Amino acid sequence: MSATPPAPAPGLGSWKSRLLSHEMLLFYVLIALWLFFYFAGTTVNRRGVTVGFGTLDRQFDILRHSCEIGLLALALTPIIITAGIDLSVGSLLGLCAILFGQLWHDGGLPIPVAAGLTLVIGALAGGLNAVLITALRIPPLIVTLGTYSLFRGLAEALTRGSITYTDFPASFLYLGQERWLGLPTQAWIFFAVAIVVGVLVHRTTFGRAFRTIGFSPEGARYAGIPVARRLALAYVLAGLIAAIAAIIYTARLGQAKADAGTGYELFAITAVVLGGTSIFGGKGSVIGTLLGVAAIAVLKNGLACLPVVMRMNAAEEMSGLLTGALLLFALSAGVVPQLWSGFRQRASAT
Amino acid sequence: MSPAPLLELRQLVKNYGGVRALRGVDFDLRAGEVHALLGENGAGKSTLIKVVTGAHAPNGGTITLAGQTVSGLTPATARALGIACIYQQPALFPDLTVAENLALRLNAPSPAARMRWSDCRARATKLLARIGAEISPDAEVRSLSMPEQQLVEIACALGSGARIVVMDEPTASLTQKEQHLLFAVVRDLRQNGVGVIYISHRLEEIFALADRVTVLRDGQSVGTHPVAGIDEAGLIRLMVGREVAQIYPAAESAPGTVVLSLNQLGCRSSGVSNVSFDVRAGEVFGLGGLVGAGRTELARILFGLTPADSGTITLGGQTLTLRTPQAAVAHGIAYVPEDRRRHGVVLDLPIAHNMTMAIHRRLFPTTWLRFGAERALTLDYIRDLAVKCSGPEARGGSLSGGNQQKVALARWLATKPKLLILDEPTQGVDVGAKSEIHKIVRRLAKEGLAVILISSDLPEVIGMSDRIGVMGGGTLRAILPGGSDPHVVMAAALGTAA
Repeated sequence: MSATPPAPAPGLGSWKSRLLSHEMLLFYVLIALWLFFYFAGTTVNRRGVTVGFGTLDRQFDILRHSCEIGLLALALTPIIITAGIDLSVGSLLGLCAILFGQLWHDGGLPIPVAAGLTLVIGALAGGLNAVLITALRIPPLIVTLGTYSLFRGLAEALTRGSITYTDFPASFLYLGQERWLGLPTQAWIFFAVAIVVGVLVHRTTFGRAFRTIGFSPEGARYAGIPVARRLALAYVLAGLIAAIAAIIYTARLGQAKADAGTGYELFAITAVVLGGTSIFGGKGSVIGTLLGVAAIAVLKNGLACLPVVMRMNAAEEMSGLLTGALLLFALSAGVVPQLWSGFRQRASAT
Repeated sequence: MSPAPLLELRQLVKNYGGVRALRGVDFDLRAGEVHALLGENGAGKSTLIKVVTGAHAPNGGTITLAGQTVSGLTPATARALGIACIYQQPALFPDLTVAENLALRLNAPSPAARMRWSDCRARATKLLARIGAEISPDAEVRSLSMPEQQLVEIACALGSGARIVVMDEPTASLTQKEQHLLFAVVRDLRQNGVGVIYISHRLEEIFALADRVTVLRDGQSVGTHPVAGIDEAGLIRLMVGREVAQIYPAAESAPGTVVLSLNQLGCRSSGVSNVSFDVRAGEVFGLGGLVGAGRTELARILFGLTPADSGTITLGGQTLTLRTPQAAVAHGIAYVPEDRRRHGVVLDLPIAHNMTMAIHRRLFPTTWLRFGAERALTLDYIRDLAVKCSGPEARGGSLSGGNQQKVALARWLATKPKLLILDEPTQGVDVGAKSEIHKIVRRLAKEGLAVILISSDLPEVIGMSDRIGVMGGGTLRAILPGGSDPHVVMAAALGTAA
């Protein structure tokens, strides 16, 4: 091996392009946002206690609340790299939460067994998406729009719209509400999943296949890549991760109900796209997704700490608005340099 | 003095980049005649049609319509001047009815006009009746057969008052009976003083239908003749001409044992039937024929893309069922496809990814990517095939056509195949890269690989092959020795005895 020159990391060129990569730009924005909220969103109350964005408790809280959407974003990253989409992950989170509660409460199963079965069910639900997409060749958008309603409807039917499962044992709630080795317990699971997905996407032949399919499904087929099997893997994995998110969600809130995770899929897609993964497939990274998740979380929670926003009581609205603005900015930031160089070429040509 | 011809082309020139597609073509079309256009693939027929219909602007020469020289022809002005073109694949809207399609083409576009659907319907009925087509104006185009759709196109051409109708291989997808209906319509057009430019590979059609025939070769007209004064052998002689002497690397090895053996192979969905031949180790087996002869379709069967439904494929003594490309690759079959940019190379990915794409299992047995090993292998092939690139990280799309082809070739050589199928490997490749690819193919054969070389370039397929299988109409028409007389190959491709 010593004869071959060292291989540069895949997809990265010189240090200059590395510093200007989408991920790095997003990282600078994230730091700037964080610093802004650190100075503008931290206050000292009448009793002399520091409150707001700048406290460690608040930072951990942000991390705790980001884990579920973060997991869904990790689930969506490989799928979007294949130029697919999965709108059903939020609904599947709800369905898995209900099934987990039922297995434990009504089925009388121990928590670990119920959790294990929930993961299997999540993977099977992902498998349903996969079969419809690969065997019946229905576009992913349509398939998962259908299962988006199907999974949520099932969750509501199983609970008749009213049952909520509560009274989980403290040992289970530890997963969602306590800290382990200094960090919120679920954050460890989130990081573990991030590493698994990151390795899968960046360091294995599966990730290569996802990228190839994303750029050119026909080209992948002509190269002998088992396109259907690789796509199926991405969707099954997404179902599995959605089930993990469901269990964490239940442990954080201490209750399992049918509307769990409503609208999460859109936050997750936003995080993935903000992180630089192309909705047209091929391009994308797990680091980018993590930065996207972090940016959305900091923006949302930081705004809630700003005195001016607190007085207006408009944190939700403001965070929606600014997330949208950030997303559009991030997407156009990739296009502007191209437009600029195209303009310069035309200018120099005449 | 006869009246001015409907269409007259003088010294028409058309270049695509550095490629000279038309080099000064003269052509004329009279009112009330069917003028056939004949030539090998790439002789310039399509380019000529594109210039006449205004799709492409010529680089030189004049176009005269009924005595008037026109310039700056666009598709819209060409149509307004009475030029209509009927393509092999009718370009109608499948979800609209026949009457609606006709209205869309024939009504003058105006933003605020009110549609009179009853008028449109009446006109459609009249036009369809005039060409003797039994098609309801209310039928959705989707429900019509291919020939019926062509008839709608013809009705359209008539409705627009076209004086010049171009037909590009109109009978390629028609049955015998449908052909006769089409011929009747063409003769009727001629009676009405319309000039028809008729492109076809089928010589018998030309003799049945055309008044005159012009043969194109290498972007030049090699003669216009009244059909009555020429026979098939004469036409073939004109099409092939005298070949420019080109040096092809000579075979250096005698073919060895049989690697691939096809017996009565067929696939109904892709129109291939009854193909039987053997390919030996160290042999280059050429597949010649015209576009649509079924050669790519045969390759797709062998690569598992469109599985066969009859006959057998035997590779190395083992009878195979090939239902997926993965199965074909696993058995040692490699296919470098015709459409390089869509199928051969993933343009957005680096060369390294492209070259190792088909050997993931061997190079990365644990699925874990080994970048060092990948880079070493890629550099080897870049050196071995002399790929001009900035390195293994360069994107496939940044390379020239010839170098892209080498990347596609490297991907399949890396699989260490037993059988290599090359589909038009030198199409759109510059002369230098072309001769390099020829040398590589010869070297591979010498190393014992069985090669199937599909090429529409007649000198190439004759010069490169040890034996030549000539295909036509989805089946094998003849097997000829390498270096055969081009006239004989062309005659076999056309399905006539020369």
